[in-house]
Amino acid sequence: MEDATALKERIKAMMVENLMLQVTAAEIGDDLPLFGPGGLGLDSVDALQLVVGLDKNFGVKIPDPAAAKEILQTVNTIADAVQKKMAAV
Amino acid sequence: MRVILITGANGGLGQAIARAFLAESPENHVWLGVFVRRENADKLIAEFSARCRAIDLDVTQPESWKKAVETILAEHKRVDVLVNNAGKHHDGLLATMPLGTWESIVKTNLDATFYGCQAVMASMVSQRGGRIVNISSLSAILAPAGQTNYAAAKAGVVAMTQSLAKEVARLNITVNALCPGFIETDTISGMNLEERKLAQSRIPMRRFGKPEEVAAAVRFLASAEAAYITGSTLKIDGGIL
Repeated sequence: MEDATALKERIKAMMVENLMLQVTAAEIGDDLPLFGPGGLGLDSVDALQLVVGLDKNFGVKIPDPAAAKEILQTVNTIADAVQKKMAAV
Repeated sequence: MRVILITGANGGLGQAIARAFLAESPENHVWLGVFVRRENADKLIAEFSARCRAIDLDVTQPESWKKAVETILAEHKRVDVLVNNAGKHHDGLLATMPLGTWESIVKTNLDATFYGCQAVMASMVSQRGGRIVNISSLSAILAPAGQTNYAAAKAGVVAMTQSLAKEVARLNITVNALCPGFIETDTISGMNLEERKLAQSRIPMRRFGKPEEVAAAVRFLASAEAAYITGSTLKIDGGIL
């Protein structure tokens, strides 16, 4: 299985590219909140792109708002979801 | 190459829209969403076999949408344009309208548009671009008596169009609605001469619109030239409103 650090780097790279973020992947902390004040400042459109990007790039499906709220908190929570998906395959 | 999906593609308006896209560029590939009837679609396919295909699509069923879009993505890896054209009306007074009639019209005109937009959204978000054209109706604005179901459903399409347009504007996905008035389709051809004359007398241009005139507007709204037009509602009615 892919190393957790490498996986997080891939997730960050995907976010920077897909969301056209004005920060580098290295500037995104693993525990930085993605939404809300004091975080990365993503909005609902970014969330939509993240949902599509996670499905396309990692096969992680986010079926409902409750799952989105749980998974799309930080890079760490996204990485957890990806690893769970990989383990289940 | 652009990949275009048109629902209700066996009807007169759907046929005209398909022809407009096929004529626009030899690179365009048009998928004709058909359900139950497909004789007209088959004629179009015979004429443009290499880049025109039919696909079974019951617009009232989300699973049918999923399957249809998956088929298109398996072939082209993208969907550039969705034209939600399928629709129907069943007029009657609210006081005596069977609940099933209300539900059926709302499902076919409003729910189906929602299902369609949702079915192509992941692809368009991933592509960072796309065009959705929803065919509403002048009834959405005029709300004539006897069309509580149809007028409400088509007004819902307009509101959905405006809301969705805001949601996805940043992703270069445009969503617009058209409100055709009296157009020379099966509905009009079912009128007798007196009904036709009466209807035409209420139209400032004194004639019904041609399907090609609606199709031209659909093609424009789906074009690169219309990149900054989103959330708009364009009426095509010969000046009624």
